[in-house]
Order: sequence, then structure tokens, then C-alpha cells
Amino acid sequence: MALDRLTGENSLLFIRSEQLFDLARTNSLWYISFGIACCAIEGLMSASGPRFDFDRSGVFFRNSPRQADVMIVAGTVNVKMADTVRRLYEQMPEPRWVVAMGACASTGGPFREYPNVVMGVDKVIPVDVYIPGCPPRPESVQYAFIELRKKIRAKTEERLAARRERD
Amino acid sequence: MLPDANEIRTLLAGSGVDAEVDTVLLGTVARVQAADAIDALAAFRADGYESLVDFDGMDTGEAIELTWRLRSYSMDCEAYLKTTVPYDAEIHSAWNIYASALMPERETAELLGLRLAGHPNPKRLFTTDGIPPLLRKDVPIRSVEEVKNR
Amino acid sequence: MSDARDDIVTVGLLAEGMHDPGVPPAGIRRAPTGVDDLATEHLIVNMGPQHPSTHGVLRMLVELDGEEVKNAEVTLGYLHRGIEKLAEHRRFDALGTLMDRGDYVSGIMGETAVALAVEQLMEIEVPRRARWIRVMMAELNRIATHLLWYGTMGLDTGAMGPFLYAMRDRESLLDILEAVSGARMMFNYVRPGGVVADLPVSIEAKIREFCDAFDTYVDEHDAILAGNEIFQARLDGIGVIDAEMALAFGLTGPNLRASGVDFDLRKRRPYDAYDEMIFDVPLGVTGDAMDRFSVRMEEMRQSSRIIRQCIEGMPEGGYTAKVPKVLKPPAGEVYASVESARGEVGIHLVTDGGTSPYRMHYHGPSLYALQALEDLMPGYLLADGCIMIGSADIMLGEVDR
Repeated sequence: MALDRLTGENSLLFIRSEQLFDLARTNSLWYISFGIACCAIEGLMSASGPRFDFDRSGVFFRNSPRQADVMIVAGTVNVKMADTVRRLYEQMPEPRWVVAMGACASTGGPFREYPNVVMGVDKVIPVDVYIPGCPPRPESVQYAFIELRKKIRAKTEERLAARRERD
Repeated sequence: MLPDANEIRTLLAGSGVDAEVDTVLLGTVARVQAADAIDALAAFRADGYESLVDFDGMDTGEAIELTWRLRSYSMDCEAYLKTTVPYDAEIHSAWNIYASALMPERETAELLGLRLAGHPNPKRLFTTDGIPPLLRKDVPIRSVEEVKNR
Repeated sequence: MSDARDDIVTVGLLAEGMHDPGVPPAGIRRAPTGVDDLATEHLIVNMGPQHPSTHGVLRMLVELDGEEVKNAEVTLGYLHRGIEKLAEHRRFDALGTLMDRGDYVSGIMGETAVALAVEQLMEIEVPRRARWIRVMMAELNRIATHLLWYGTMGLDTGAMGPFLYAMRDRESLLDILEAVSGARMMFNYVRPGGVVADLPVSIEAKIREFCDAFDTYVDEHDAILAGNEIFQARLDGIGVIDAEMALAFGLTGPNLRASGVDFDLRKRRPYDAYDEMIFDVPLGVTGDAMDRFSVRMEEMRQSSRIIRQCIEGMPEGGYTAKVPKVLKPPAGEVYASVESARGEVGIHLVTDGGTSPYRMHYHGPSLYALQALEDLMPGYLLADGCIMIGSADIMLGEVDR
């Protein structure tokens, strides 16, 4: 949804600031390039490769958590890694979203029985979208970003509705 | 390729190590006392086994069995050295004979609950402090209920 | 125009008590005087576990003097998820799923290692067609692995383009692997006794088409990076591993062959159908990063050659031997090793006659390459350290296991 499609040529647009920011955010969700395990090959490398090409939908990788909006947790999180995941999450600026990619990040996956593995990254940081699969295909990751967009838009609507009620 | 069991027997006897050498499905295996393991490795190294390609340990239920897998590129053959140490024993590092033992030794010591002597950096390799030696048979994995009620 | 010296005084560059440099010669603002009594100290820098050039979750602590590495320590375990322990609770035909996730880019090789170990224990005779399919799949997978390494090697040296070209070829490879096995990465295709399904119809044409295209593409890939002067300058003479050091650190695979040691398990201990294949083993001379690069590039060409032989001479027959539904090998101990894309993947399998292994040890070549890096990095610049990590082709999945 681009702005010019909303408005038409040479027109003025009155929009609430948070609506504008959310509109911008939904169209440029930058993720932190933080691959843990197998899913990183599919969700981060193939995804930025020529066939799936996430760049065209404004999804691009950043190497620093301070420039990122989304964290794709791509892989098994173990006890030693959990601290790092939390620290990286805390370094990301608000608003921030987390995508738990694959079975391991969602529940522990095939390694859930091992005492050193955290059963799902949601034990460490809050998760917005879960992607099933071991590993999920890059298309699934694309779909997760569509769902994330819907979620952000729904949040905006919610906030606006709350304000309308208050006014 | 299998080296001749007799050659290894004379090789180890030459450096004063008592060894049982057999050719089994695994390959040519020399079994020595834990105290002789370092001497045996030094003898292998001197005889032309240039490379330690693998080192691992196994909890047999009564003790820990250590296996060194040695390869000679000049003779194009592999030999195995085995020894048994009790639980919580101290093993002596072989890193100044085979440098490739550095990390596998740390891994084995950590995951099977052994102590390392003579190692330049005998820290934990994989897990954080407070995690039990996970490859021991008495350390269970998570049960089905535990996983279901995660 | 005012005097340059006045400028210096007015902007406060000459602090009180500092040596007055006097009138500088024309053209420079002030003579360099140095700062007295400035102590230099070593800086300890933490690389990782989230670092763009560490190929996974490798963490390195490096002690720097300026930009020169004085000491390096590898910290592992950020992906330790117990493949060896969980294997003790899996059935023999399900071990492949764990091995896929060990070295997650070259799954077929890991599966083959486990399958070979179980076959040795149970004395299963694998049909000839199954062995040929295994070889073909392994070589396709080897190219896919090397292409990923090639792409990230470009990223490590600051070249984004080669990554995109490599991914283009890798996607067409993954299409073939997916058509055969049903998955892009976690194949679980090679099972004890053979493979899980026969080749789909008309896959030969697809593979031949890929090989034809790839044979020209690989030269392009080689030219883009190895023909680049900057790339050459960054790799030549960096991270020299001589043969003695390679043997001492137990290196295997392309890293060992780049040091000039002629040892390839496919030639020396032929498993599957490698004894029927014709291919060369590329060797390096000095063992620097450039040699490791060239050896891997040449390996891709040889793999393509093997794949062609496979589709030309694919024998007829069954794709799997007759194996029981529940595998129950007799008690025993075997060691099976295969030549994976990164080196020798070894499986030390101990059984007690049950339906799951008593102990499975997974030997990954990357762990041994990492130890060599720890020894290699001191004396080089930090940026060269990244090149060394890239050229050694580390896969953290099989390091931590």
C-alpha cells in the first residue's frame, strides 16, 4: 500500500503521525542478520538470494541490532545462547518484533529432549509470529512477514479505536 | 586400511607398554592401561602415525572408555587406541604429542565428567557452569511429560 | 592571510605545557611531535556469536595490538544441542534426521556416514543402483555446499555480487535435490540399505541441463573472485598451513589437500560407488587461503564430472536392499567415515543389540579446522582473521553438535 495509491496526484493527506509511522514500518521491516542454525540458510541466506529476494518487499538485513526492527530467531536456542538472544533483543530499538522461525525456535524441535536446549525462544523473549517447519521454506518466511504486517496494522487500528473512544 | 596387529604389538612393547592388540570389526585396536596411554600415543607418533583424526569417550556403564583414532598418511592406515578410566578420573592431556587433541579432550572431559591434567586451557568447551556431564548414562534426557508441558 | 601558527594556537591544538614545535615548513600545519608517555595496551575484542563473518554462532576473543592479532581464543557451544546424546534415543533409521541437522548444508554426506556404519554392522549388501544414486546426490550436495561457501567467502572479502550468482546456481541445484528427496535441506534420503525412493522420471535431463550450465558458470565464478586483484591480494599468503601443521591439527578434506597432502577418502577408502568413478583430486601447494579457495573451486568441477558419469552410466536395479522395518544390528562397534564437503565426517557407532545405538560419536572436520585457526591467527591482522575463518569453511552445526 503505497501513499500515492491512497491519495492520487497533487493531493493533500491528513494522517495521524502514528498511522504514518506504522505505514512506513510495515513497508520496511529490517531484520537483524542473526543466524543460529540450519534455518539461517533458508530464512536469511536463500531469502536474500536472487530467487526469493526479500529486498523487493522492503525486508532487508542489517548487521547491527540497533538498526533492526525484526529479529528472526533462526535455529535452536540453548542455555548458553539464551543470554545472547536476550541481549540482542534488548539492544533493538522499540517497536521491535520477533519471528520464531522453525520448530526449534518455536518449541525446541527435534532437540527438545536435550537438557541443554531451551524449549522455544518464547521462554526468553516475547514472540510475535511462529513459523512451523524444519526448516520452513523461504516462502513461509515471506508469509510470516505478511502476517507481521497484518499484526502491525491491527495494532494501529486498535490504538486509533481506543483514542476515538476516549475523545 | 588395516595395519598389522603384530607390528603394533612390537611397536608398543618396544616402548615398554603392555597392550592387547586385536583386529576386530572396528579395525586394529590396541588396548592399554590408562597410565600407559600417553606413552603409547608417543610411540605411535614416533612410528609415523602423524595425525590424531578422532578422539572420543563412551560411558560403558561401569567406567569411561576413551578411543583415539590415529592415522598414518605415509603408511596409509588407521589404528585405534583404547583405554578405560574410572568415573571422575583425571586424564592426562596428549596435546603436546598430537595438537589436535586440544578441543576434543576438553569436550570429552566436560561431557563425560573427567578432569584434565596438563592441558593449557582446561575450561568447559560447550556448556555453561552447572550443567551435568550430559553424555553420562545416568544423566537422563527430558521426559515426554516434561516436553509436552513445556 | 593569517599565519598558520596563529590558527593552531587559537583552536587550542597547542595545549599548555606541550612542546612548542616552532614554525613549521610551508605546506604543513605543524610538525608531528608525538605524545610523550602514552602507554599502549592490548585490546581484547569480542567477535560473535552474532557477527556477520563468523559463519554461524562462532565466538572468538581476540587480543589486539593495534590491528594485529596477538592471541585468539575460540569459544564454542552456542549451538550445542546434543546430537550424540539424542542419537542414543533414536531408532537406527531416524539417525539420518539428526545428521542432517549436524552439518546442515551437506546433509547427504552425514546420512551416508550413518547408513554405512549400520550397513557394516548388519552386513547389508547395498544394490549397485542405490550406491550410484548416493554418489550422485552426494556430489550434487557437495556443489551446493561449496557454492554457499563461495558466496560467503565473497561476502567476507566485501564482494556482494558473487553471493547472488552463487545463490542462483544453488537454487537450481536445490530444485534437483528437492525433486529427488522431497526437501531442500533436510533430506533424510539415504537410509541403511540404500535410499528411500528411486529417482523420479526425467530427472536425468534436468541434471544434465544443470551440469551443462554449471560448467560455464563455475569458470565465471572463478573469474569473478580469483581474477580480482583485490581478492588475490587479500588471500595470497594469508593463513599458511603447511603440511606438518595440517597433520598435527588433524585437518581433513579440502583444508588438508590445500596443504599438499594427497588424501581423499573417496580415492583411498572408496565407499559407495566411488571406486567406479573417474575424477581427479586437486591439491594445493603452499596451503594459504588462496590454495584453499582454488582447491574448492576445482572440486566443484570434479563433482560435476562425477555427476555426468552417474547420469550416463546409472545402472538398473533396486534402490534399496531388503531390510527389516525395525533395524536391530548385532552388538558391536564400527567406525564409518565419508568425505564430506568440509572433510572427513566420521561416525563411531557402538551398539548393544537394541533398536537404538548405545553410543554414537559424530566427528566433524570443522572442529579440527577451528583449533588450527586458534593457532594460526596470531601475527596476522584482524581482517585477515576473517579471511582465514572464511577460507577454512567452518560449519558450527558440526562443531558444537
